[in-house]
Amino acid sequence: MEELCKSSIFFSDQSLCYADILSPPEVRARIEVAVLNFLKVLNAPTPEISDLPLISRKSSNSRVSRGLLTDVSWIFLSQSFCKRSLMRENTAKSFVRVWMVMKMCYQILLQEKRVTQRELFYKLLCDSPDYFPSQLQVNGTIQDLVALLRCSRFSLGIMASGRGAVAGRLLLQEPNKEAVDCSTCGSSGYAISGDLNLLEKLIMKTDARYIIVVEKHAIFQRLAEDCVFNQIPSILITAKGYPDIATRFFLHRMSRAFPEMPILGLVDWNPAGLAILCTYKFGSIGMGLEAYRYACNVKWLGMRMDDISQLVPEESLINLKPKDLQIAKSLLSSDVLQDSYKEELATMVESGRRAEIEALYFHGYEFLGKYLATKIVQANYI
Amino acid sequence: MEGKRSCLSSSIPSDLLRRIRKLTLSILTNLSNGQSPVVQIDRFRNYCTETSGNCYCNCGISVGKELLTLQRECHTRRLDVLLRVLLVVQTLLQQNRHGSKRDIYYMHPTVFKEQSVVDRAINDICILLQCSRHNLNVVSVGNGMVMGWLKFSEAGRKFDCINNPNTAYPVPVHVEDVEIDIIGVARYILVVEKESVFQRLANDSFCTRNRCIVVTGRGYPDVPTRRFLRLLIEKLHLPAYCLVDCDPYGIDILTTYRFGSMQMAYDAKFLCVPEIRWLGVFPSEVEKYCLPQHCLLPLTREDKTRVEAMLLRCYLRREAPQWRFELDLLLARGLKCEIEALSVQSLSFLSEEYLPSKIRGGVYI
Repeated sequence: MEELCKSSIFFSDQSLCYADILSPPEVRARIEVAVLNFLKVLNAPTPEISDLPLISRKSSNSRVSRGLLTDVSWIFLSQSFCKRSLMRENTAKSFVRVWMVMKMCYQILLQEKRVTQRELFYKLLCDSPDYFPSQLQVNGTIQDLVALLRCSRFSLGIMASGRGAVAGRLLLQEPNKEAVDCSTCGSSGYAISGDLNLLEKLIMKTDARYIIVVEKHAIFQRLAEDCVFNQIPSILITAKGYPDIATRFFLHRMSRAFPEMPILGLVDWNPAGLAILCTYKFGSIGMGLEAYRYACNVKWLGMRMDDISQLVPEESLINLKPKDLQIAKSLLSSDVLQDSYKEELATMVESGRRAEIEALYFHGYEFLGKYLATKIVQANYI
Repeated sequence: MEGKRSCLSSSIPSDLLRRIRKLTLSILTNLSNGQSPVVQIDRFRNYCTETSGNCYCNCGISVGKELLTLQRECHTRRLDVLLRVLLVVQTLLQQNRHGSKRDIYYMHPTVFKEQSVVDRAINDICILLQCSRHNLNVVSVGNGMVMGWLKFSEAGRKFDCINNPNTAYPVPVHVEDVEIDIIGVARYILVVEKESVFQRLANDSFCTRNRCIVVTGRGYPDVPTRRFLRLLIEKLHLPAYCLVDCDPYGIDILTTYRFGSMQMAYDAKFLCVPEIRWLGVFPSEVEKYCLPQHCLLPLTREDKTRVEAMLLRCYLRREAPQWRFELDLLLARGLKCEIEALSVQSLSFLSEEYLPSKIRGGVYI
């Protein structure tokens, strides 16, 4: 049965494009191969300047894989390529940029070091000021390089900061170090490192029954302080907004280590909150080559429209901003959402209103814990 | 309720509850006598733009008073909000719970209508009760990080940063519950403006080779970070050096660490770190370190306005003339640069040469 489950992604896997997590020598080897290929074509009897084939990161190239035997679906990028060519005026500069960043990353990997994106910007700015007027070009080119070499951003030597934190009934142990008890880490919790290698080696033990993913830091802090994870045996995790790769990696590891534990999401009732939930659940198009592997079956606990109508007074609702409507539109147009989510989103847009989790404080301080406990016990999640 | 703020006794919550009762009683007494209560709220400033140097900014001395009475409608509303927030604060203290400003807003959204109204009421209450915001059990999320040669505990939980000197630990939010283990191994405290610089130092294992404590507020420092820094200096008696970008925002963050912010001017005594020194990057050393021309970006119009406004601040003239000189130079040159410019030629330049040589050589102002 396990073999069947593991192989259930076999057919969809074939159209799935992914970025490998590689060691520095392996990445350098891929860069060398890219250079050699380019030179080979340039040196051929009919010389040509090869185009760079990059996996397209547009929504037109995104697909949804629905788990055959599992509940997990994810977004992945397929085989559609977009070519950066030196021969075409509008892509010539981005063509050159890819080679420049490739050279820079190669040098950094050779030194066995890492850089932040900002440091990379300054190095490129000094090296070739005409090509990199701002940070945006650097970030975009890094993604191009990921799409070309098919290796993760972290493998290229770019430092990633960890933004996530975890608290609750979880014991974490780095090899040869003392175990850390996440229920005694205080209201800030245990900080999730940006180093994926480190996270990979952590040994996890728990006696919790649920994992609760919290959108906002303020709510995470409140729940951790009130030790809600002792009343409902659980693990709290937050990335303080849109999740970074490290937090998603950590959540994914937990879901693999404790497959029976439901993962519940607690987000604000607005399109951005749902978008954050969906990023944990399905991955994203922007980092489509890397993100798909960390998709987890996160269920939507709250806030949902029933909660709003029953628990949130009219005055606590805020108007949706134009940006919220844009996010709603793009979510509705992707075919990854299940019907119940689409219904919720439609209600948000129609009413033109949104609500924050803090609105529940209208009922007093004790209320948030009770709200969570009730919903969990009633299995009121979708 | 003017002049210096009285110290709170060790049983802070009961002390505050008493003050709340006293305040409410005085308002009630006035009302029952058919008079309007007069609530006096001191105003504090951490700087002004007078050039005489005879101001009382940032000394904890009030620079004026606002008198709130029921005779003006806007005051009535303000008093209404103040009393409602006071009621919530009283509940927090009685139940020994903590809440954020946002939580308080949501308790009576129809009355408050806007977050800023609640924020002002909390400031007013702190001034009236002569206490700090955290004494009211009103807290915010913590944004700071710390690493290095340090051991501390927060409400009994131990954080042995010294075992993993290049791992970031979050700065604790309830600084009043923190006890620093005084083992005297760190030699100095390095405060950095940006998270990316903190990451660079961690990646370079800076704290392995340099016995220090590194703190960052990740931008403008929040209250817990500022209190934690003060606590470190008070307990460990170490010099503190600040590393910021050579631009208006960086220097503003530097002044926030040293002189405090206008918003929290009433609590300046507990939040400023007057001992902090500016380690870099100075406008005057841009040439010395041969920073590549392309890394020096021009000041925008907004940047120039900010610098001009900062130059008018009284505390710079009075207490940090060297900082003022560098600011003048920044404006005159019209160029700014970020700390990352130092890493262009060599990624390890910052950790291996710039910082150690500046600290050893005492090149700070």
